Amino acid sequence: MTAAIKTSGLCKNYGPTRAVIDLDLVVEPGQVFAFLGPNGAGKTTTIRMLLALQRPASGRAAVLGLDSGRDSVEIHRRIGYLPGDLTLYPRMTGQQHIGWHARARGLRDLSLAAALAERFDAVLDRPTRELSKGNRQKVGLILAFMSQPELLVLDEPTSGLDPLMRSEFARLAREVVAEGRTVFWSSHELDEVQRLADRVAIIKQGRLMATETVEGLRESAPQTVHARFARPVAASLFAGMDGVSVTSCDGGSVQLEVTGAIGPVLRVIADHDPVDFTSRHAGLDELFLAYYRESGAPETSHAR
Amino acid sequence: MHADIAWLDLANRRRSLIGYCLGMAVYALVVVAMYPAFKTSTSLDKLIANDSTAAALFGVTGRISSSGGWLNGNIYANFFPLIMLLLTIGYGAACLAGQDEDGTLGLLAVLPVRRTAIVVQKAAAMAAQAAVLAVTVAVLVIIGRSFQLDITVANIASISAAVLLMSLDFGLVTMAAGALTGRRGAAIGTGTAIAAASYLVSSLAPEVSWIQPGRYASLFYWSVGNSQISQGVSPGDYAVLIVTGLCALAAAILAFRRLDLH
Repeated sequence: MTAAIKTSGLCKNYGPTRAVIDLDLVVEPGQVFAFLGPNGAGKTTTIRMLLALQRPASGRAAVLGLDSGRDSVEIHRRIGYLPGDLTLYPRMTGQQHIGWHARARGLRDLSLAAALAERFDAVLDRPTRELSKGNRQKVGLILAFMSQPELLVLDEPTSGLDPLMRSEFARLAREVVAEGRTVFWSSHELDEVQRLADRVAIIKQGRLMATETVEGLRESAPQTVHARFARPVAASLFAGMDGVSVTSCDGGSVQLEVTGAIGPVLRVIADHDPVDFTSRHAGLDELFLAYYRESGAPETSHAR
Repeated sequence: MHADIAWLDLANRRRSLIGYCLGMAVYALVVVAMYPAFKTSTSLDKLIANDSTAAALFGVTGRISSSGGWLNGNIYANFFPLIMLLLTIGYGAACLAGQDEDGTLGLLAVLPVRRTAIVVQKAAAMAAQAAVLAVTVAVLVIIGRSFQLDITVANIASISAAVLLMSLDFGLVTMAAGALTGRRGAAIGTGTAIAAASYLVSSLAPEVSWIQPGRYASLFYWSVGNSQISQGVSPGDYAVLIVTGLCALAAAILAFRRLDLH
């Protein structure tokens, strides 16, 4: 099956600044794919290269099996796009935007746009300059979804939306994916990503750090183990155990970070009269922060 | 796609275009209506004859009391091109670089249309706006023939067309500068500087000998600076204006195809 998005060795520089570095990314069709990273990590730059808004310094990008540069018109026909910094014509109403984009895309049936407007409770009869950020974002979402594109490329789509509308967006994204279409979604809203995404890519300073399912990321992440004992214990109990590090040891309370098998740890704990025990995998937010705390890369990389 | 992008820009600029047209219409009407009062004035002709350099600065050559001199000195050699340039340079800077800076170009650029078509549609929108203004002024001047202005409709039409082409040339140069740099300010600066230099060279060339050879590089010379109001616009004048415009359009297309958008 053709990948919805595939990049190989994609690079982008802004003068001496390296915004995206050797990005190899594959997004399979029929999933919600979250592209995760803080501001300036290179998410938006990558999206702009995928859509031929910007030209890569090197490397290739294919969208729906088409070359992003050479076949940009066909790609644009088959995608829906919501920019991260959506700007609408201030004097035009939402309805006028929808009508114009429908004409420009050769879309005659506006029933889906009307249904989306109802779902999002969008204000379409006032000039967009009079709308709040959230209401403008709703217009942008309608424009992206209304042509039933095979691939939706959404840059921070829930920015400015209230919690109810965020839930509505999540439902809509799941419906789209259930129809076999694909949602490529850049975000730094970790809770939403955790709830909605099938797969996650984490980008840091222009480099791809990980691509995994949310569950896979969790499972590969260290477990935090907390044990409380009837008597004080020494941290040295756990010394020398593979994949185990003691993060705190205070009298009868010990906290460990375990990246390997949990069995040997459980045996040691069981031998020392435990009164309480908890273990949990790191949440996506902790994982994300862990990736960003690892300061391997120099602070020269920076993206718009 | 047809001409949706051009229509969108025309719709969004209709108010300002109406303003331009109303302003120029009132100005042109006042100028032609005042002509009978100045037609017999010899003092103005003497003033210009005594200080031909100052007169040249305003694009006035020959007798200002003649129909051609009056129209050239008050409309075609200065004020009308200035307003046309405000329109075309303003739009040329805004339509690509300006829209990219303010963020409205992103949604246009992901429509299923080639970048070349975007530039062509923007150029068409510029031409349509400028043509409406040029026709408005031409119609008012033609009406002015009832105010004793002795000038043929053909000459009015041809010099209006020449000013239209010249202003489109500068507008397209501005558009190309915007497509090359992605910056509205740089585009306006480039278009305005070239237009100002072009005006000065054309208007001062008859009086300053060392500038004279440079007049051929001035688009003002090929549109209003070579007695076109009385003698008509020659095929050579048209050719220079059209070829310049096509070159600027080609440059804008090439630059925009390479521009990184936001």
